[in-house]
Amino acid sequence: MIRTYRALLVAQLQASSQYRVQVLLWMLFSVIRPVIFLAAWVAVANAQGGQIGTYDVRDFAAYYICLSLVSCLTASWNAYEFEYEVRFGRLSPKLLRPLHPIHYAVVENFVSKLTQIVPLSIVLVFISITFDARFRTTPAHVLLFVPSVVLAAALSFLSGWVLATTAFWTTRVHSVSTFWDRAAFIFAGQIAPLALLPGPLQALSLVLPFGYVLGVPAEILRGGVSPSTALLLMAGQAIWVGVFFVAFQRVWRAGVRQYSAVGA
Amino acid sequence: MMHSHASHNAVIMPRMTDVVVEVRELRKTFRVTEREEGLAATLRSFVRRHRKDVNAVAGITFRIDPGEVVGFLGPNGAGKTTTLKMLSGLLHPSEGEASVLGYVPWKRENAYLQRMTLLMGNRTQLVWDIPAADSFRVLQEIYRIPEEQFRSTVNELTELLELQDLVHKPVRNLSLGERMKVEFAAGLIHSPRVAFLDEPTIGLDISMQSRIRRFVAEYNRRTGATILLTSHYMDDVVALCKRVIVIHRGRLLYDGPLADLAERMAPYKIITATLHDGAVPSTDLDSYGTVVSRDEGRVTLRVDRQVAPERTARLVNDLGDRLADISVEDPPIEEVIDRVFTSEQTTVSA
Repeated sequence: MIRTYRALLVAQLQASSQYRVQVLLWMLFSVIRPVIFLAAWVAVANAQGGQIGTYDVRDFAAYYICLSLVSCLTASWNAYEFEYEVRFGRLSPKLLRPLHPIHYAVVENFVSKLTQIVPLSIVLVFISITFDARFRTTPAHVLLFVPSVVLAAALSFLSGWVLATTAFWTTRVHSVSTFWDRAAFIFAGQIAPLALLPGPLQALSLVLPFGYVLGVPAEILRGGVSPSTALLLMAGQAIWVGVFFVAFQRVWRAGVRQYSAVGA
Repeated sequence: MMHSHASHNAVIMPRMTDVVVEVRELRKTFRVTEREEGLAATLRSFVRRHRKDVNAVAGITFRIDPGEVVGFLGPNGAGKTTTLKMLSGLLHPSEGEASVLGYVPWKRENAYLQRMTLLMGNRTQLVWDIPAADSFRVLQEIYRIPEEQFRSTVNELTELLELQDLVHKPVRNLSLGERMKVEFAAGLIHSPRVAFLDEPTIGLDISMQSRIRRFVAEYNRRTGATILLTSHYMDDVVALCKRVIVIHRGRLLYDGPLADLAERMAPYKIITATLHDGAVPSTDLDSYGTVVSRDEGRVTLRVDRQVAPERTARLVNDLGDRLADISVEDPPIEEVIDRVFTSEQTTVSA
């Protein structure tokens, strides 16, 4: 399996090297949204005397910089590509090879992040200086961040696949994933740090999976939560990864049966 | 419902004498949604949809021995591709049994996938942005092909398909014909024992078609792989297949030697007479058979198979010295096939 992954990795790196400009554009595009929110919160905070809840202007900057990084590291776009593969029969040759189709996506996802992370880091350092971001990060936070962001990426990837697999039943995965994205917009910590959501919404955000993908690892990296709280939140991440792993296996099996029943 | 065949599940390589493909009463019914055109019908379809069952494959039975190259013929929508998809494991049948190399295809066991390939002329399985040589490497790892075997297979396919310059260019820069050759190499890189080829020459020009044909024949000769192929081009079938299976509307119409197809399915012969002086007798030709064409100095007749020898003799006798040449032949294979599909015939098995 390691050799298979290595071969897939080499092929994918080669393929993506042909789209360097596209990689750069995607990366810049992914930073725009957090920067807009950052600018908005900075304006609001300044209007209210520089502080909202426990966040001041420099905390907001650090939060959104961490969020951009996490967002890049956990991005999953399988739903869109998978729908295309099912609709145009490109899944069929993959199903007829002795390798689960998910492995191609894992490698593709990994390579894409690998190619974006360096230019993104440069941009984030620049933003960090511009907004004078204040990180409360300790070495413990960095240590916890690594497994946390891996869990977040796994959660994002698996939930993306569960959504994508609905392509077996409906050719309108797009609308399903749009709904999902809208929910994530509120509950993942994009529109505001989870700690600033109104009480009921904040409670809900801790139950739903969205926050565990973005907000949680971002706060851990920023040093916005204590290490013990971080561990608790990571337990939540692990539970959701487990849930989506089981869900994926079931939905996939049923989906392939459906695919092979109605016309591959 | 689907039956699995316990005795066929064993993970063993078949002996050379074993049947490679065995299909029994295989059926596939698709449920499709139907809707009339127009606004009212569209609105109604939001509430209630009319569903209809379509029998894509309506119970077919056949078997294929090791090393055979079998042509699978039928018009569009006959059920050819559906059958190939069931045999390769992409589709679950609605009913019936199939076993390929001793495996139930739609279980898609890795051991089966290692030994089988499905090549579709209108689908691509290569990565567009990288040279095929790199895709081959990925396939080597997926199929766990030992380095030595991989090299010799690649060399052999490169030689047979003349791939030298093609495998190092990104696939998207190849022409359709070039890409098809590379697709063939990718599909056969794991040396499958069974190859299902669905319209392998579709869209290719004549010379590329014949090159692919030569390749398939040579590949079969060298490796002894069993091949089942569908094609709209009768030339493919004539060049490659001694045996053909004809299906129409999901049913098997003919299974037997290509050479006997005409005899079974088209009960007539074509007599062509050429005359010395260029003058075609204007009368009485109808008494020999149906006149198909009448050119200057040449007349073509369609005559019932049984009476063909007698009519020919009479024609030779009657035309006497004026006759320069005469031939008695089976009708062209396209014509036979066309006749089969346009008329309702009952199953004929050779």
